[in-house]
Amino acid sequence: MTTSHREERTFLDSQELILNMGPQHPSTHGVLRVILKLDGEKVIGTECVIGYLHRGVEKIAENRTYAMFNPYVDRMDYVAAVSNGLGYCLAVEKLINVEVPARAQFLRVIMTELNRLASHQVWLGTHALDIGAMTPLFYTFRDREEILKIFEKYCGARLTTHAFRIGGCQYEAYDGMEQEVLTFCDFLLPKIDEYEQLLTTNRIWVERTKGVGVISGADAIAMGLTGPPLRASGVKWDLRKAQPYSAYDQFDFEIPIGYNGDTYDRYLVRIAEMRQSVRIIRQAVERLPQGPIMAKVSKMLKPPVGEVYVSIEAPKGELGYYIVSDGSLQPYRVRVRPPSFVNLQALDQMVKGQLVADVVAVIGTLDIVLGEVDR
Amino acid sequence: MLQYVTGYLSQPVTPGEAGNYIWALIYILVVIMGVSGVVLGMNWGERKALAHMQVRLGPMRVGPHGLLQPFADALKLLTKEDIIPAGADKLVFSLAPVAIIVTAWTVFLVVPFGRTHAITDMNIGVLFMLGVSSLSVLCIVMAGWASNSNYPLMGALRSSAQMVSYEVAMGLVVVSAVMMTATNTNVGTLSMIGIVEAQASQHFWFIFKFFPLGLIAFVVFAIAMVAETNRAPFDLPEAESELVAGFHTEYSGFRWSLFMLAEYSGMIAVSSIAVTLWLGGWLRPFASIHGPQITIPHYWRGGALDFAASLLPALCMFLLALFCLVGAYRMPRLRTFRIQTAGLTVFGLGLGFIGMVLLCPPVRDRVQDIFWFTAKIGVFMYLFIWYRATFPRYRFDQLMRVGWKVLLPIGLGVLILTAIVGVLL
Amino acid sequence: MSVASVLRKTFFVDLVKGLAVTFKYQSPKEIYTEQYPLQRPTIAERYRGLPRLNVNPDTGESLCIACDLCALACPEHLISVKSERDPKSKKKVISTWTYDTSRCMFCGICEDSCPTDCLELSQDFEFATYSRDFIIDRERLETGLVPKVYER
Repeated sequence: MTTSHREERTFLDSQELILNMGPQHPSTHGVLRVILKLDGEKVIGTECVIGYLHRGVEKIAENRTYAMFNPYVDRMDYVAAVSNGLGYCLAVEKLINVEVPARAQFLRVIMTELNRLASHQVWLGTHALDIGAMTPLFYTFRDREEILKIFEKYCGARLTTHAFRIGGCQYEAYDGMEQEVLTFCDFLLPKIDEYEQLLTTNRIWVERTKGVGVISGADAIAMGLTGPPLRASGVKWDLRKAQPYSAYDQFDFEIPIGYNGDTYDRYLVRIAEMRQSVRIIRQAVERLPQGPIMAKVSKMLKPPVGEVYVSIEAPKGELGYYIVSDGSLQPYRVRVRPPSFVNLQALDQMVKGQLVADVVAVIGTLDIVLGEVDR
Repeated sequence: MLQYVTGYLSQPVTPGEAGNYIWALIYILVVIMGVSGVVLGMNWGERKALAHMQVRLGPMRVGPHGLLQPFADALKLLTKEDIIPAGADKLVFSLAPVAIIVTAWTVFLVVPFGRTHAITDMNIGVLFMLGVSSLSVLCIVMAGWASNSNYPLMGALRSSAQMVSYEVAMGLVVVSAVMMTATNTNVGTLSMIGIVEAQASQHFWFIFKFFPLGLIAFVVFAIAMVAETNRAPFDLPEAESELVAGFHTEYSGFRWSLFMLAEYSGMIAVSSIAVTLWLGGWLRPFASIHGPQITIPHYWRGGALDFAASLLPALCMFLLALFCLVGAYRMPRLRTFRIQTAGLTVFGLGLGFIGMVLLCPPVRDRVQDIFWFTAKIGVFMYLFIWYRATFPRYRFDQLMRVGWKVLLPIGLGVLILTAIVGVLL
Repeated sequence: MSVASVLRKTFFVDLVKGLAVTFKYQSPKEIYTEQYPLQRPTIAERYRGLPRLNVNPDTGESLCIACDLCALACPEHLISVKSERDPKSKKKVISTWTYDTSRCMFCGICEDSCPTDCLELSQDFEFATYSRDFIIDRERLETGLVPKVYER
């Protein structure tokens, strides 16, 4: 605070300190650089510098055919690769106006919800690690191994799955897949209870997360937040219910909402979402219809001239694909709306006035993946 | 020579009390080597126990089940390049780790492992321990300041503020425990050995005295001692995922290992205060119950319960030896593992031999106190590791709030109530 | 604040519950680590590892019909197929088939596009080398990779 018109500072005034949370840091989830302006311990401003992981995915899309580009989208949100593939396939399918068979849609739902569970487990482990609890990381990664084993048996890869194709699914469900998925669901629910036992009522956890990074519902909508940060601020908006895609309207599930918009509510919302995902998976496996898994799509795909925007509810928020086609084999433009990129812009508002140690917690709670932010 | 040794060992007082400098020096060397050995063991034990709690294995390669890992780490640290940051105050920078290790080890002058197994017994023992461990705060500030870098300085200031605040709460509950040593007939004492003897003569440990005051005092001390040693959940100053990386950032190699040694020695020191004040020091549980008299010719004459307790150290050694031998049996039968399996078997047999030695009467009688004291300290070490695995970290302002607004009033309350109850009863 | 919540706070019930969870997982049968070189992981059948050119088990001839579909389908254009016409049967027979490991992303599009059972992504994942020989030619692809088993 200035004390005279000549900006004379006495030794009692604290100066602004610029602190750099550099690209290499144990708790910025990827290569994110955050420049903090501090007044003592309080944060008065932030600036995010991104682009350290920019690989030019959207430019690559202009030089590949539609089917060839499919493996590249997995690499954006590499933690939850199946959703990326689902979004892209849905967008292209809408562009060429083809209907995916029912069995493929149900398989897609099963894979996507398993993927949501895996993504939320990575989030929980790393978020708890940032706040200081080391062990939930190992427990969640151990449970995530089971999901990755299912992915490996289904499509051959654990992380960059390339599970779906334009027009349906390439891989048929393997022998015993339904039984394995159901066993996994039974295995996971007590584990979620354990995560809650370790964290939810723990007084240290509550103190670290309640009231930290608060954002109101109106502000969240104004910022364009989507996904769990939006729902934890009281806004009941989930694309699976609002604009259902890929047979989600045939399932019965709830959307968890939080009311305070702080880190604790975001934590509770994601834990509840994990339980709802298990519910969806069980319903999908029980009602899995028989039939073909791939619609008739030509090998050399030439969509009609036009543009399409399709968005899905990825684990991190609304993931959108805007594809412009000029009638040739390769898209004219593919623009991806990554949820982490838009959510990250709310970091500044959430962190103003909080302490430095809270910045780490807020970055963790926004659940960003730099692969998505930078593409 | 042997007569001199046995003649000395049958004395009823500590060497410091007897004014025997040579034996005091020998005891000092033994204690320093023992503490260092325990620190090495803690390093291995922490990594293994933490790993098991996190459903993984921990070090497995370096020796059989990672037993040689601390030695590998020590060797690595010794051979690392010694870096002094540019612009750092060279004298203070070099002095800080030395000073902190001197203060950490000086504390062990009065720690009683048994009635005669201490280096000395000052009649202000507890005060001496608390005072000397406060000196380590100065050394931390020295380290942070001399590093000529923003982050270590902030970390050092935070760390020292945390330690000072929790020392206040610690001091209050220590006074309440000291007050319990006074009874209607005895005057209370600050001497460590005196406190344990007071517990022995009053026939119960202070943690149970004036229930629940002793218990509350113990719990307050247990929380304060975790904060005092900068361990989880109060380890913000040295956490990696926070911005400020702690006062020992700029230290590498041997200097850093001195800081680590000092930290673990500090853990052992505050645990020994807790054990001495509340948990009966070297006394075994139910020390006043001796059981019926039994006599085994040339071997034992005394109470049955005492006899059973006297076999415990040897049994523990045999159990450890059994673990080693079973582990050696279950090692993979590959050529690469032959040396490790052989080493583990020899180690197990060595432990078994030590167990047999512990059964001989002259050794057996003297080792009782040390065994119980070490076992209780071991429990505390395990608790430190367990807390680190389970709890998230407190933010700095919350940490200070807990120290000043929660522990201090409770400590004060316990002190006043203990005083009142002590006068009334 | 109710009596129960005050009691829960004083007796650290929430902290003890957390401690109970970590204590439970110390038992050796909960350990989830696989000690890699000693214990190999079980790989799924559909795992997309290193490509392999299958041969007809009876005749020993390659199953490849030199249709070039895999080379056209690869997003990174790493496959190169050279063929020549066999003068006796008038069919195309492959002469060289190379593939570049350095940029392969194991997406499986080549495997999907192969009309015969020839090109298959095997379960090999241990193909790190000490030199920069990324281009793998047909011979190695047919025999598959044998991981070097070290004695010590």
